Amino acid sequence: MSETAAPLLEVRNLKTYFRSEEGLSRAVDGVDLALPRGRTLCLVGESGCGKSVTALTIMGLVPQPPGQIAAGAILFEGRNLLGFDRDQMNALRGDRIAMIFQEPMTSLNPAFTIGDQITEVILRHRKVGPAEARTRAIEMLRRVRIPAPEQRIDEYPHKLSGGMRQRAMIAMALALDPQLLIADEPTTALDVTIQAQILELLRELRAEFGMSLLLITHDLGVVAEVADEVAVMYAGRVVERADVATLFRRPGHPYTIGLMASIPKLTVDQDELPVVEGTVPNPTMQPEGCRFHPRCPFAIDACRATDPALTAIAPGHEVACLRAPLEQHVL
Amino acid sequence: MSSDPTPILEVAGLVKHFPVRKGVLQRVVGHVRAVDGVDLHLAQGETLALVGESGCGKSTLGRLVLRLIEATDGSIRFEGRDVRALGDRELRGLRSRMQIIFQDPYASLNPTMTVGDMIAEPMMLHGAGNAAERRRRVEEILGLVGLSPYHARRFPHEFSGGQRQRIGIARALAGEPRLIVADEPVSALDVSIQAQVINLMRDLQRRFGLSYILISHGLAVVKHVADRVAVMYLGKIVEIGDKRAVFARPRHPYTQALLAAIPIPDPTLKRQRALLEGDVPSPLNPPAGCRFHTRCAFAQARCRSEEPLLEATEPENAKGGHQVACHFWRDVPAMAPIAAGIDADPVLVRLQGFFSSRGRDDRATALASGPARS
Ligand SMILES: Nc1ncnc2c1ncn2[C@@H]1O[C@H](COP(=O)(O)OP(=O)(O)OP(=O)(O)O)[C@@H](O)[C@H]1O
Ligand SMILES: Nc1ncnc2c1ncn2[C@@H]1O[C@H](COP(=O)(O)OP(=O)(O)OP(=O)(O)O)[C@@H](O)[C@H]1O
Ligand code: SF4
Ligand SMILES: [Mg+2]
Ligand SMILES: [Mg+2]
Repeated sequence: MSETAAPLLEVRNLKTYFRSEEGLSRAVDGVDLALPRGRTLCLVGESGCGKSVTALTIMGLVPQPPGQIAAGAILFEGRNLLGFDRDQMNALRGDRIAMIFQEPMTSLNPAFTIGDQITEVILRHRKVGPAEARTRAIEMLRRVRIPAPEQRIDEYPHKLSGGMRQRAMIAMALALDPQLLIADEPTTALDVTIQAQILELLRELRAEFGMSLLLITHDLGVVAEVADEVAVMYAGRVVERADVATLFRRPGHPYTIGLMASIPKLTVDQDELPVVEGTVPNPTMQPEGCRFHPRCPFAIDACRATDPALTAIAPGHEVACLRAPLEQHVL
Repeated sequence: MSSDPTPILEVAGLVKHFPVRKGVLQRVVGHVRAVDGVDLHLAQGETLALVGESGCGKSTLGRLVLRLIEATDGSIRFEGRDVRALGDRELRGLRSRMQIIFQDPYASLNPTMTVGDMIAEPMMLHGAGNAAERRRRVEEILGLVGLSPYHARRFPHEFSGGQRQRIGIARALAGEPRLIVADEPVSALDVSIQAQVINLMRDLQRRFGLSYILISHGLAVVKHVADRVAVMYLGKIVEIGDKRAVFARPRHPYTQALLAAIPIPDPTLKRQRALLEGDVPSPLNPPAGCRFHTRCAFAQARCRSEEPLLEATEPENAKGGHQVACHFWRDVPAMAPIAAGIDADPVLVRLQGFFSSRGRDDRATALASGPARS
């Protein structure tokens, strides 16, 4: 990846495991990421590959037990968050680093109005009075385009539509102008017009406050629009890293190629969508060798035996595949 | 899709107003007009997509059809029966024939039940099979949605977001329904699994003649699977028609704004998008006249006072055809075609071919053992 200054966030060889009845689940198993200041890194990958667990680990929100952080470092402004105690994390979280969670209902408390929850965050971290916090909360709700925010602020989460809950979550995360925003599928529940507005809002915040964004999404249209860099995960690992233009023009990992192939096209009629056959491996029993080999149309014997490391195939373009660059070996 | 002429579902004048209460006395101070006069019909084996702005009433409409909530007004006929008049027992019978896949998979799964028990539950309720048969069926359904037999013993919190979504789909399929209301069934899924689920939904439709109401913000998915599309705005249908007509010639200014906002998976296409301006009006107090007039570039005085009704764009095909609710649809210019994105790199196209079903068959030949990276 091309960066000159030290990144705002760097994740090195992160391993987050869960204990389960069937054994140790290696949900995140050696993840490397780097996010420069003021930039957007998109994290994509198959459902269950460990994107949310990576994000939760950065936030210090993995329940331990059953979770366990087996290895790695998470450097935020050069300091390793894995060495922080609870108070230090609490001070950082919500203020310098904020997260928008994948499922709004799991992080909005159904017993409190959305206004209570947003003002609570503001009051906890800022020296302001309740009236000022409320004004700020209404302002945030307006910025995420919730209609009639002065009234909606007093609603309970279950009375809001799916997309409005999501926007309430976004408002809460942005209330304190964080340095780093981790957004886990922030626009999935939104229609495309509001999605476009939210993406625009995130772009503004990046420009205005130099906010960095770690965006988890499986909407490759969104990736194309907002990402500077992209990391593709498969089965607990990053299997490809590249700038966004390179990733779309010439994806290098077979999984990425399959992913791109399965996007339904708006402009052509397709009867059957291409798919990556099979499913993500059980994280308690990762395949030997390359984890993608059981599903890979390009696999050869060596793939069953050797676990490929991320290797540069071009400046700023890293791929974890024994047969990369594929076009030289396959076509 | 050409289909049975008698619709499996017919909805007329459907209305749902949620009371809004305030204060210690919980006085009703207003109503959220979530669904405000909707007419629909759905043929057997057909897929109708509902699209529209977040909060416009799509999920509410879906829940009304299954009578998970009671309508304020209007009629719902499913397989010729008046759903709103059914008693409790008949309603339970109906529920096996109509299923819903919920938008928020986590909130809709019982956290204390294993996934296997949850999927087997509808079968138990109908007394289908013995324990061993049910277990086999559970495994089969898990396989259909791309999960494995070992997942049956697990609890919902042990799954990722997309895996939970597939559990919701598996549970809906277990009762062997005729109609599935699928509320954002693939929005939590990455595109490769999304493609599997879409192919699956389509297979099931072809095999069993299932009908779907598909609620989705993913317009590419809608374009791919729907037969007809209904576009909603603030509780009303503003445009409805054959998928091809709606995507090729969107007539309503809101539909055009919606299609123009679709993010295209091509980073070289830095589009200057005209974002839909203005605040989303509150459904507590929707604008008079055309509900879209506060944000519409074509609005005129008439739009502020007179509500436009759905009107056929081709009079010779009035009922099932393309209809739009805009006073000035004839004057709204045709939309620029949706950008295709640049032509994909030919090398990439060839590599992607390995993932199509034909590519898979050819794999043996194509794999003429290239060397591994040294
Ligand atoms: N609390 C937990 N206990 C046990 N296993 C867990 C827990 N949370 C996550 N996992 C497992 O870790 C793996 C990674 O999950 P994660 O939620 O990170 O996936 P994801 O990449 O975010 O997927 P999605 O796109 O579907 O949200 C999954 O196999 C999941 O089952
Ligand atoms: N139980 C309820 N009480 C009060 N208002 C409700 C209730 N359920 C939904 N609403 C309101 O009804 C309107 C329509 O909500 P609905 O969930 O149907 O929207 P939607 O079109 O599915 O949106 P999304 O795309 O965001 O899921 C919203 O304004 C919502 O706040
Ligand atoms: S009726 Fe008027 S306001 Fe409504 S969409 Fe048409 S032109 Fe716009
Ligand atoms: Mg996730
Ligand atoms: Mg909804």
